[in-house]
Amino acid sequence: MIELDVSLPLSRFPLRVEARLSSDTVAVLGPSGSGKTSLLETIAGLRPKAAGRVVIHEDVVLDTAAGICLPPEKRRIGYVPQDTCLFPHLDVRDNVRFGMAKAGRAGLFDESVSILEIDPLLDRFPATLSGGERQRVALARAIATEPRLLLLDEPLAAVDPELKGKILPYLLSVRDALEIPFLYVTHNAGEARAVAGEALVLRQGAVVFAGAPDEALRSMSLVDPEARFDNILTGTLGAAHAPGETGSLRVNEARFAVPAEDAARDGNRAVFSVAPDDVLVSTHPLVGISARNVHPGRVISLEISGATAWVRVAAAGLEWTSRLTKSAADELALAPGLEVWIAVKTHGFRRLR
Amino acid sequence: METTDLSILFLTLRVAAIATLVILPFGIFAAWVLARRDGAWRTLVETVLSLPLVLPPTAVGLLLLEALRRSGPLGRLLDRMGVEVLFTWKAVIVATAVMSFPLLVRPARTAFEEVDPRLLAMARSLGSGPVSVFRRVALPLAWRGILAGTLLAFSRALGEFGATIMIAGNIPGRTQTMALAIFQRTQIGHDEAALRLVGVTVVIAFAIVWTTELLTRRRTRRTAA
Repeated sequence: MIELDVSLPLSRFPLRVEARLSSDTVAVLGPSGSGKTSLLETIAGLRPKAAGRVVIHEDVVLDTAAGICLPPEKRRIGYVPQDTCLFPHLDVRDNVRFGMAKAGRAGLFDESVSILEIDPLLDRFPATLSGGERQRVALARAIATEPRLLLLDEPLAAVDPELKGKILPYLLSVRDALEIPFLYVTHNAGEARAVAGEALVLRQGAVVFAGAPDEALRSMSLVDPEARFDNILTGTLGAAHAPGETGSLRVNEARFAVPAEDAARDGNRAVFSVAPDDVLVSTHPLVGISARNVHPGRVISLEISGATAWVRVAAAGLEWTSRLTKSAADELALAPGLEVWIAVKTHGFRRLR
Repeated sequence: METTDLSILFLTLRVAAIATLVILPFGIFAAWVLARRDGAWRTLVETVLSLPLVLPPTAVGLLLLEALRRSGPLGRLLDRMGVEVLFTWKAVIVATAVMSFPLLVRPARTAFEEVDPRLLAMARSLGSGPVSVFRRVALPLAWRGILAGTLLAFSRALGEFGATIMIAGNIPGRTQTMALAIFQRTQIGHDEAALRLVGVTVVIAFAIVWTTELLTRRRTRRTAA
């Protein structure tokens, strides 16, 4: 349980967040410059001008009315900033160990190294790492201190588009293996849905939505022009396949054709992402189509935002987000409850891990 | 080189080394505080600290003489403690320390300013207190600038003349450093003996500036990478 009631003057507008988060896994959504990073820094104790209350699992870390303001080093909050902020003068091993010396606890060095798969990087220096590797090291460094709360800021997409979604599968592993509560900042409502039990949508420093991530998708399309709604699938890869065949991914009872080269990589458990632009919707059964994944389903909801229509479809035991033009949605007369078919090309599945 | 030349060299090196060591902790502390603070008083402190760079050294020497004379504010205190400073080797150290201080502080301050404040915030968030952040992050990241400043301060201390002669005099074997000896030898017409010392100073200065250049150049390369 995280209780937030904070205010912080920013240059363009004040940050004013009041929320009681009952889930241990929270996604923070909102357009660029809406105050997401400032909120994380306030919780971490890195914004001295912040006022109000922050309570994490009944521990008060900030209560300016009562004169309580724990310094960042006393908060036991693991922060992974956008630009990772690895210490350039230390190798990966010493970066990960940095917070453990002071923690006075055994720390989670081995666990974080194995979950984040950074064992081969331990002797290298940050300057020699790729963006994705840096992200993993920064997350490992935060986890190694056994924080009571983890704050993750999404990597800057503008700097490295390849980073999009790369940390997500690791975050899922951290969530499942270590059960550390977290706040995850993202532009991707699909990721929010995959990883979080609760979502918080900010706009100009204020909360415009707090609740179930599924519900957040609706307000997201309205407030964030950069919002993404990737479909995230976690499943098991099929047995080894013959050359020339596609790979297969099993999610619950459904089976999907995925690119062979992605299926061939090690690991049975796999996380894939499907962009909403790659999900076709048809009102008639699809025959004679090249797409390898065709499933019948039913429209759950339809959101129109300008010339774009966001369609949510229940198919193959999952919920899919598809982005269509408004004119296409009109022509098909899409409406909640309508029986439809969805089609996804094999190469519409992009493996995250 | 003659034995007097050698003893002058050793006296100079010893005095400059002690002066540099004395100002090192204060200089690093001042540089760190100045790099992390802003505001009107920072400018004031910086201006006062830089005065020895721009004032005539003899003016600084006279101010020190006024402060250290038996009736002066510091002199009275020292007198009560039974410490004699003026016209002893201690006066050479005082003069060179004061004159070298700004040369240590400036590069060290710049080096501290170049340390990304987000890294310092990150270290705090990872459980380090302010002192530990300084020791584990700021110092290792700024050491090149601190070393460059130390070398600059040391070379300034080697060559200090004006302030030294005002409060330490030019006493052979006691307070006569290289710079003072060169002056004295030319005054009495021993130009050749003076030139010998000049040769020694050129070698030392060359080595120091060369090292400083190497250090700063490596830093730029690393930043560019």
